[in-house]
Amino acid sequence: MSTLNAEILHLLEDPTTTKVVATTDEFGIPYAITSTFLQASAAGELVHLELLEKSATNRNLLRSLWFDKKVSVSLLATDGRSFVIQGKPVRALISGPVFRGHYEKVRALLDADLAAVWLIEPEEVVNETFVQRKAEEEERFPFSVHLDRLTVERCNSASR
Amino acid sequence: MADAAARKATQDSLQDVVARYPEVPRLIIVKTDVQRRGVFYTDKALEVLDETLHQVTGTHIFGARDGQLEARPESLLLRDGTSIITTPTPLEDNPYLVDLIDGKLWLVDAGEPVEEVEYWPAPDFYALTSSSGIPMKNIASARPQRLNIFPYRYCTFWNNGNGCTFCDIVCQLKKGKEELQIPARLNPAEVGEVVGEALREPGRFSAVFLTSGSITSGKEPFDDEVDYYIEILGEVGKHFREKKYPSQMIGTAFTKRQLERLYNETGLMSYTADIEVLNEDLFNRHCPGKAEWIGYREWKRRLVEAVDIFGPGRVNTGIVAGIELARPYGFRTEDEALERVLAEAEDLASQGVGTVFIVWSPRPGTPLGDQKNASLDYYIRLAKGLHELRVKYRLPIGFDDYRHCGNHPDSDLSRLLPY
Repeated sequence: MSTLNAEILHLLEDPTTTKVVATTDEFGIPYAITSTFLQASAAGELVHLELLEKSATNRNLLRSLWFDKKVSVSLLATDGRSFVIQGKPVRALISGPVFRGHYEKVRALLDADLAAVWLIEPEEVVNETFVQRKAEEEERFPFSVHLDRLTVERCNSASR
Repeated sequence: MADAAARKATQDSLQDVVARYPEVPRLIIVKTDVQRRGVFYTDKALEVLDETLHQVTGTHIFGARDGQLEARPESLLLRDGTSIITTPTPLEDNPYLVDLIDGKLWLVDAGEPVEEVEYWPAPDFYALTSSSGIPMKNIASARPQRLNIFPYRYCTFWNNGNGCTFCDIVCQLKKGKEELQIPARLNPAEVGEVVGEALREPGRFSAVFLTSGSITSGKEPFDDEVDYYIEILGEVGKHFREKKYPSQMIGTAFTKRQLERLYNETGLMSYTADIEVLNEDLFNRHCPGKAEWIGYREWKRRLVEAVDIFGPGRVNTGIVAGIELARPYGFRTEDEALERVLAEAEDLASQGVGTVFIVWSPRPGTPLGDQKNASLDYYIRLAKGLHELRVKYRLPIGFDDYRHCGNHPDSDLSRLLPY
């Protein structure tokens, strides 16, 4: 299991962070949803609260757990920082004190149910913050740049 | 040749079956094998059993394979949220061990850890007593998401010796009454009191479940059973805002008039009448009371009729899978059993009635108690077959799935269905 660093833990706690869970169906077709309640557990797992038993995400998470497939979680901060975390669902809690605690939090905020508390073990964290990825890309792949971006600055000349 | 194949299937290991059916989740195969072979709790595993945190055995209407009644873990949860409903089994019968490894509970087979498990959490009301002084856990019990009520712990088919051959309900009733002081017949008002208390716990229950032994008496046969259920459900219903609430009842195959009463006069939303074995000859042999009072064909007809009342996907029947192979009258091979059982299940499915199975656990004190159940391969093929019928006829199983029952490997497979 990969360790979530302090920056990611902070983003997970920040309610302004956009949090997305992407799963795949039996045909490999991706399905991404925002996960309003996404958070980290004390043990360092990602915790996704699934409110709907028959949602595509709930079924895809189960399929991933059953057949050892990965899912992807994306975090986007309001300042542009972005991370993609790949991991595997390892547990679905439907009863017990942890489930109850989350159930009560959901019920305090929404007229909704809680189908399952999904624990996702992070395996790899990728920093997808654009300015950082752009710098890396331009350093490593200098032939991918459009030449007009590299030309000297010129005044607008008369039309030819 | 068929016998040789059957013997080979019997000897298959868990790993063999997992490799043979890559489309079936390993966890469901593990669950099925544990249900097939039972469990033995090591001393270390029992040391972490805490009655204030975990559910312990006690109120169930059927007994354990080792015939003991002392407090032990009620059952197990897998990490996909699926339950393994199984009972303690003598070591000489080769059960899985439940052992403590690095502070966690594991299923262990041949010295190898197989899968992590948890004990079922105890609901809050287990710590309370009713107004008449009975421990509430002796009036209602729990599964991880289901509230169980077993209002009548006797089955009148036994009055003339016609109890089902695999069933130990009466034996268990006597033990429960003597050793745990569980009432044989519950007071409906007291059931209502306990249900009201149970529903205080947030997020604990998503269905109310009711079952008891058959009661043949009444103006028409089974009218007394229906009256009693209506009385109980009436008390339960007082705690809900709407007339209908998520609920399941396993009862006798009632007449249309009786079913209409159950549906119209209570909050009941789904109905199950267990046919036990999907073959007329074997039904007559293994379920002589059901055969005497209703009959196989009439049982099926009443199930189909129930769909008109409860709706498609709200009616099903259960089978005790494995008794169709019991000697001396059972099918000779697992292939034949599978073909015949699935053909009958399809006949029901095509008319809106689902079929679920439980793995037969031969129990002491029953006529079939000294026999073996079927191979793991057979149970996995049966689970696939019943699930595929559910897909073919688009039958939802939400009222009898992993959350609301947890005892059916076939309905576990249906968790991936969008309906």
